Amino acid sequence: MSNLLYSNPLIQFKMKIIPAQFPAKKSTMKPASISSRLQNSQTPSNQQLNLSVLRFTLGIPGLDESYLPRWIGYGFASLLILNHFLGSDSATPTPAQLRTEAIGLSLAAFSVIIPYLGKFLKGASAADQATIPEGTEQIFVMSQNILDTKKEDLAWATYILLRNTNTIAVLISVQGALCARGYWNIPEEASRKNLLEWFEKQIERIGLKNLKDTLYFPQNSDSVLWELLPKGTRSLLVQPVLQVPKPGANQMEGIEGEGFVLLASSRGYAYSDRDKAWIGALANKFGEN
Amino acid sequence: MEVGSLYFHCRPIPWSPELRRLTKPTLPRFLFFCRASSSSSNSRADYKGPKPRRDWVADLVSNNDDAVRSLPIYVGGASLLAVLINRTVSGIAPVADASSSQSRADLLALGLAVTNILTGLVWLSIRPKPISVVNPEGVECQRIYSHLPDSVSSELLWVWESLSDVTCCRTLIVVYDGHCILQIGFAAKSSIGDGEPVAVDAIKLTQGSLYQNVIKSGAQTYLANLSLYPGKSELPFLPSNTQAVILQPLGEKGVAIIGGDTIRGFTTSDQAWITLIGEKLDATIAKNVKNLTLSAQE
Repeated sequence: MSNLLYSNPLIQFKMKIIPAQFPAKKSTMKPASISSRLQNSQTPSNQQLNLSVLRFTLGIPGLDESYLPRWIGYGFASLLILNHFLGSDSATPTPAQLRTEAIGLSLAAFSVIIPYLGKFLKGASAADQATIPEGTEQIFVMSQNILDTKKEDLAWATYILLRNTNTIAVLISVQGALCARGYWNIPEEASRKNLLEWFEKQIERIGLKNLKDTLYFPQNSDSVLWELLPKGTRSLLVQPVLQVPKPGANQMEGIEGEGFVLLASSRGYAYSDRDKAWIGALANKFGEN
Repeated sequence: MEVGSLYFHCRPIPWSPELRRLTKPTLPRFLFFCRASSSSSNSRADYKGPKPRRDWVADLVSNNDDAVRSLPIYVGGASLLAVLINRTVSGIAPVADASSSQSRADLLALGLAVTNILTGLVWLSIRPKPISVVNPEGVECQRIYSHLPDSVSSELLWVWESLSDVTCCRTLIVVYDGHCILQIGFAAKSSIGDGEPVAVDAIKLTQGSLYQNVIKSGAQTYLANLSLYPGKSELPFLPSNTQAVILQPLGEKGVAIIGGDTIRGFTTSDQAWITLIGEKLDATIAKNVKNLTLSAQE
């Protein structure tokens, strides 16, 4: 079998039919290697061949086999406990049985956390698609008193972020210009006209304007930052837009923050390192102007 | 005041979620209170929200990828042995029936151990194959068409910086309207003897079949392993050991040629980003440059 790159069984991956020999599979990682890219194929329009991963599956569509250890762990742990209380021949269980049950329960606990650990391995990518949370509406607002080229840049940037990453809502604020796009929870008191002012007020309250570090919250957390976001948000990435230092500028002054790019997703751990790198590159575009 | 002096201690510590620092989990809240209490004295309000916790589980697993992959096998195998030893040491007859509760508990534990071993085997089998970087042979160059407006040239340079930072791209060539408007990164060394980077013959390129196919289909072409493609001869300006090439059409008048240093080095996410960046670049160039040959004559 030729050496193919594998991924989660529910994700199809692309392979080019190349009539050549693959190099031998090396079992040791080279120090200068680049880890490969196992991503969900979202562009079926090119001519590469789609092959399902050759891996053991139950064949049931929609069932995520990587969570099977967790269910087995829960099921067997409950059976063990049932056996302990209901199935003993004598009144008290023997020490041997207690030892076995201890081993069994710790194994079950380990099985339960296996899918969680598997999420962080190289090449793992979650199969669940981003869902649009309830109660949100799709909006696209932009500051009006800016140059046309700036408007085009903002429109294109929000479009590319919504399309290429697992984002449901994006908010860009740079040099006084604001653009919000995607699915947001808008309170009733903010009408279409003062939507921008509502966003401005929220940003002032959280103090995002002077941000200098990237913030990435891969899981839901209760904090003031999250009141701004749509209800079903599970991960959040805020990328500051830093001013590109002009050549010859005084290095001691420090880099001023010029704005930020805020991305909200309805999936946990939605932004991989590659995604974050691209988002950083996009933020640099605004920093140069 | 005490709070004020504490603020000055907090201020220079940059907090980044990716930093691997051994700080206590209570520290972010400490910083938070620091900043919030004295931010009113600043004219520009500092960020008052929470700082993200460092996700040590994720870091631990990603750094010890191989060890974590084989961990379930060891755990399952050790538990299997423990159950069997327990059964023999306790003097129970080695009969695999479910009549006594001891046997049932043993069977359940064995089932769990086998699940763990299988999961470990699956994880080992799906380990991605590491691919090595091949450094391009050639000389660095940066040639940009001199009669471009500033907006276009800054956009081109931004595209180059993004691609070289994020992807495995080492060469970028943009050909538009029969002219090569950008050649940046590594280029093949000219064999004439002066060691200059090979220039892009845009006319010859636009007449070649590779270019024609890309423009006709209007879709991105990804040559994941360039050494296997006979069309490689149409790209003599790329370093000879370029591993992967993406040809992105810019509308109907141009193409961007992106050379990478790893076989199959561009992910599908990269391809999607490059497609959309190509559209933006085409819009920018088309809007700002009416006719390249005319502008050259001015």
